[in-house]
Amino acid sequence: MRRDKINLRLKLLILIVGFGLIALAFIEMINPVSASPATKIIQNTVQAQTGDPDNSACLFCHGKPGMTRTLPSGEPLSLTIDSSHFGSSAHKSVACVECHTNISTFPHPDLQVQSQRQFSLEMYTICQKCHEDQYNKTLDSVHMRQVAAGNTNAAICTDCHNPHTQPVITDANGGLLPNARLSIPDICARCHSAIYDTYKKSVHGAALTQEGNTDVPTCIDCHGVHNIGDPTTNAFRLQSPQLCAKCHTNAAIMNKYGIPTQVLNTYVADFHGTTTTLFEKITPDQVTNKPVCFDCHGVHDIKKVDDPVYGLQMKTNLLKACQRCHPDASTSFPDAWMSHYIPSPTHYALVYYVNIFYKFFIPTVIGSMGIFVTSDIVRRLIERRKGVKHG
Amino acid sequence: MSKKAIMQQPDATKEPVHKFERFHWTQRVEHAILLTSFSLLGITGLPQKFSTSGWAQGLIGFFGGIETTRLIHHVCAVVMIVLGIYHILDIGYKIFVRRTRLSMLPGLQDVKDAFQAFLFNLGLGKKRPQMGRYTFEEKAEYWALIWGTAIMAVTGFIMWNPIITARFLPGEIIPASKAAHGGEALLAVMAIVVWHMYGVHLKRFNKAMFTGKQTETEMLHEHPLELADIKAGIAERPVDPKTLRKRQVVYFPVAGVLAVAMLFGTYGFISGEKTSITTVLPISNPVTIYVPQTPTPIPTVSVPVVPSGTLSWDANIGIIFQAKCDLCHNASLPTKGLSFATYVEAMLGASDGPVIRPGDAANSKLVILQSAGGHPGQLSPDELTAVKIWINAGALEK
Repeated sequence: MRRDKINLRLKLLILIVGFGLIALAFIEMINPVSASPATKIIQNTVQAQTGDPDNSACLFCHGKPGMTRTLPSGEPLSLTIDSSHFGSSAHKSVACVECHTNISTFPHPDLQVQSQRQFSLEMYTICQKCHEDQYNKTLDSVHMRQVAAGNTNAAICTDCHNPHTQPVITDANGGLLPNARLSIPDICARCHSAIYDTYKKSVHGAALTQEGNTDVPTCIDCHGVHNIGDPTTNAFRLQSPQLCAKCHTNAAIMNKYGIPTQVLNTYVADFHGTTTTLFEKITPDQVTNKPVCFDCHGVHDIKKVDDPVYGLQMKTNLLKACQRCHPDASTSFPDAWMSHYIPSPTHYALVYYVNIFYKFFIPTVIGSMGIFVTSDIVRRLIERRKGVKHG
Repeated sequence: MSKKAIMQQPDATKEPVHKFERFHWTQRVEHAILLTSFSLLGITGLPQKFSTSGWAQGLIGFFGGIETTRLIHHVCAVVMIVLGIYHILDIGYKIFVRRTRLSMLPGLQDVKDAFQAFLFNLGLGKKRPQMGRYTFEEKAEYWALIWGTAIMAVTGFIMWNPIITARFLPGEIIPASKAAHGGEALLAVMAIVVWHMYGVHLKRFNKAMFTGKQTETEMLHEHPLELADIKAGIAERPVDPKTLRKRQVVYFPVAGVLAVAMLFGTYGFISGEKTSITTVLPISNPVTIYVPQTPTPIPTVSVPVVPSGTLSWDANIGIIFQAKCDLCHNASLPTKGLSFATYVEAMLGASDGPVIRPGDAANSKLVILQSAGGHPGQLSPDELTAVKIWINAGALEK
């Protein structure tokens, strides 16, 4: 009897452990660790869809043009999904209910929002469900800090990426597709149109918007994407030369346009550049009025240096740039700055020859001293060995 | 050397316990100030010349950043300039008042001495040169210091006052001065390490600059000619008090005026110009950050013109229902059993009864619902008015 009881317990234990293992294996199977969050959601969606309507059910109504809803604010809220756009978007295989989680029945629950903006602000956090990395990056951005401070105009996910029309913008390796690059400034222009108007007239913006040149920087190359920082901070100012240098010291890009790549080292070698570089290294938050690249060359309005109206190659333009910080500067003052030239017999010859002089003078003097001192040491060692008293 | 030293000179038979005064205490203080300011100038200056290397950045960080490093450099530069002014006046006193021998002046003999010393070291000469109060090594160092300080002061002034400089000279002189200042600095520091360190610290630790005194043995080895002069009593040129006072009466006012002029020049050096503005400039061409583009208007279906004249389902009312209600209330999706696909279906109403009561708009469910507002397919006020008139007129099909 007692033995039977033990047997029964043992059998039960084996049974429980066995089922547990099977259950674990099953969980592992449906949750492959390697899958990206986005794929995982789609997989889960497929399984979870049994009880939810699929997209064709939603598009049956919402595919019709002109569906709008007037919100209490008086604004219309478009309820139409252009199925041709949606069908070619990055989200074509995502279920509507994946984002519109509160809508699974008909008639739909009442819309509680007052305005279009409120609707977007309530919806965008759902993006983190699949795009956690990008979403988390935005939390650090200047836009999110504005949102947190109550500025509802600041950009949220859906302002840049319309979830119903967002095309695929990256290749298999995560690199940005050329066409996507070309469209970046248009996206930022939705809120920053004044800056865009300036940018498109700049040497970079004109090349991008008129020639489709993807070598030039778009907004995100300087400002970043998702974790866009505040460009008015001291830290941004101090590290900005490195930002420009990213392309301007890259011979592969610069050689195409005959632009020298020694712009950073010549800047760092001079008073201004030395100071800002050391600030950046030692006290990155330092307030400074020492010029960085954009103080002379412009920010969004960067022009070619040989631009007849604004170019810094024009001495009068350079003088004006100097006088912004050195109001008393005279016409020969701008030559105190070697305009990114490395001294040579044709450019800044005096500096070149001073350098040459010391290049030979220092080894000559120190070398002669060294020879004499060495001869003296040797002589004294010999004398000491011979026991002669030095004199 | 002082007379006292000569008088106290011990008997030749005894061991020379007596020490000769080599440097007056004022000279030793001068040396201490020079030593301090020179070292600080070097240690704060060279990292600026090699600012891209790690050791330089480490040192600058140690000093509290580039601005503090420059401040230390500037303060030491001023100390050295003031020391230079004192030195000029002191030399002037020795030349014009005391009329001592100009023992520091270089001459052909120094070249010969240097050559002889070198040949001796190479084993090509019989003996070391016999030298006086200042050896050729010491003279070389002194005059290198004088020359170097002059170059550093001039190039330093140019860098400190670039705007004043550019008013009189081409702007290029400023980067050229920077190059010369750096080159000369490197030369000076290396010369101190090779020449001075060896000559007075390694060869034999020469404490004369700190104690001010040398023994007779030391004198005999290093400055035999001076020792001979001292013993012969011709090292000094004593001045009688009366003449001394007469010369002092002339020299002190002149030196005073010179001192004031030079100190005033130093003041100009420091405060000659405010090189640049001290406030932080706003970014050029500021732009407004938030300037939203006008959003693309949401596409809407063309709203039928509010009917006028005779109202009937076929003529005008049916089109309104097609446009606004058909989406959810159509033949294949008759939400709540209601469809507006045809007149008949519309009049049949929803599963819980008709929504249009011909002749009684006020009690028609459609009008009640639409008047409350907020229905997904909301009729415009004009459309609703037309529908009410149509219902009150009997909700006719044709």
